[in-house]
Amino acid sequence: MKPVGMSKLVADFWEHGRVDDCPILDTHAHYGPFTGIYFPGRGEAEAMLAVMDRVGVRLAVVSGHAALVDAARGNAIVAALVAAHPERFRGYLVANPNDPEQIARDLDDFPQWQARGFVGFKLHPSMHEVSLCGEAYRPVFAYAEAHRLPLLSHTWGADGLCGTRQVREIVERYPSLPFLAGHACYGDWDAAIALAAEHENLYLELTAAYAYNGLLERMVGGMGAQQIMFGNDLPWFDSMVAVGCVLSARIDDEARRAIFYGNAARVFGL
Amino acid sequence: MFLFDCNVSFGVAPKPALSYAATAEALLAEMDRNGVDEALVVCAAQRFDSPLVGNPLLIEQTGGRPRLHPAWAILPAQTGEMEVETLLAAMRAHAVRALWAWPAQHHYLLDALTMGPLLEELVARRIPLFVPLTEYGGRAAGWVAVGNLLRDYPELVLVATDQSVWGEDRYFRPLLARYPNLHLETSHYELAHGLRDVVATYGAERWLFGSGYPTRTMGGAAMQLLHADIPPAAAEAIAGGNLRRLLKEVRL
Repeated sequence: MKPVGMSKLVADFWEHGRVDDCPILDTHAHYGPFTGIYFPGRGEAEAMLAVMDRVGVRLAVVSGHAALVDAARGNAIVAALVAAHPERFRGYLVANPNDPEQIARDLDDFPQWQARGFVGFKLHPSMHEVSLCGEAYRPVFAYAEAHRLPLLSHTWGADGLCGTRQVREIVERYPSLPFLAGHACYGDWDAAIALAAEHENLYLELTAAYAYNGLLERMVGGMGAQQIMFGNDLPWFDSMVAVGCVLSARIDDEARRAIFYGNAARVFGL
Repeated sequence: MFLFDCNVSFGVAPKPALSYAATAEALLAEMDRNGVDEALVVCAAQRFDSPLVGNPLLIEQTGGRPRLHPAWAILPAQTGEMEVETLLAAMRAHAVRALWAWPAQHHYLLDALTMGPLLEELVARRIPLFVPLTEYGGRAAGWVAVGNLLRDYPELVLVATDQSVWGEDRYFRPLLARYPNLHLETSHYELAHGLRDVVATYGAERWLFGSGYPTRTMGGAAMQLLHADIPPAAAEAIAGGNLRRLLKEVRL
């Protein structure tokens, strides 16, 4: 049966799986094989592009799985991916706080990284076991804020390294930094929404959070739709699930379009 | 595509989801909104209050609503709360054709010692038993429990539900290969190209469409299947054909 009460946008997605005048910009993707998961197609370009084409993802901003382990090696792999598919991928430069010297080199070289399609930074405090508020991250925050470059960090409500409390400290210290809270401080929804309502440059990114029934309605009601970013952790997840969750939410099409592409286009200049 | 959701709950839970259906009528409205035709359902009282309260309440709430198919929760017989023959007679009386086990929530061991006579009946009657992996804390422990149960009862029609989204193929694929009566549902299986890959390797017959509502949205699961990169016949089977077949095979 067809859903009852669909808008035209939802009906078109339901029918075709993608809508050409509603492209999707994925602000939280990865690339390549990874430690704790099997990826059909090894999580490489062909497999990712097949999903993106099926769902209408025009472009994905990726951090390399390898870069989360070894930033120098993995960031170069992403540069090669972007060079091979410049219309479909952009890169996040992964900064590992356990190697401050590498961070310093990468910040010095960031104009060269930008020329190779890197548009911002990716942090993963849980994996690197360093608090988001740790000293080693500060040069990255300062650089990103000074140049208005988006920074995506893994965040998780119950994680003492990158929960809502740590996010608050960062967005208060760097108020002009376009900060994307990956997974939207998963589980600590109300605090994250309240924080985003206070800080116009804090964006809640939806990976995994999108499936939580009723959350999108609460976000849009509590902070508006302009600070919600579509993301999907591709190649972890089939983007069709995330799209279906946004379509299923009791929000209007204007909010859906802002989430699917409008906000990312504005913040990333895409 | 006929969507028959195998993993749905309604009613008021002690820590409710952000959005949920308090009544069967509200659940039907949510199904309408998401294009879900029918559902195999449980209610929150079965899990969080008691199966002794929730099982009859479910029958009361789903009665006269043919799109909702009731599934009951089980308890051990040794306490006298749920004698096997009494349970089976009640299932016959109310056309209940599937069961759920919440062994951690209800404090029992889902094994031969505790549940043997019931499990033997389920095998003989091909009554599907739904087992949430989250009852074992998720990840490896849940699959170990499923493997142990199937080792003792390889003919049991077991549906393992609510796997973690964070990559479990390396856990469950050996079990799919070994046990032909193991079934999985789709609610948390978001892996990119995952359905295509497992259908190509193991066939579509042992996957059931599940949303995980109310914790998870119905719409995400529905869109995943509607536009899955698998053959249409496989998608139809997962969407509803497999569950219909399983329920039809039950001999109450």
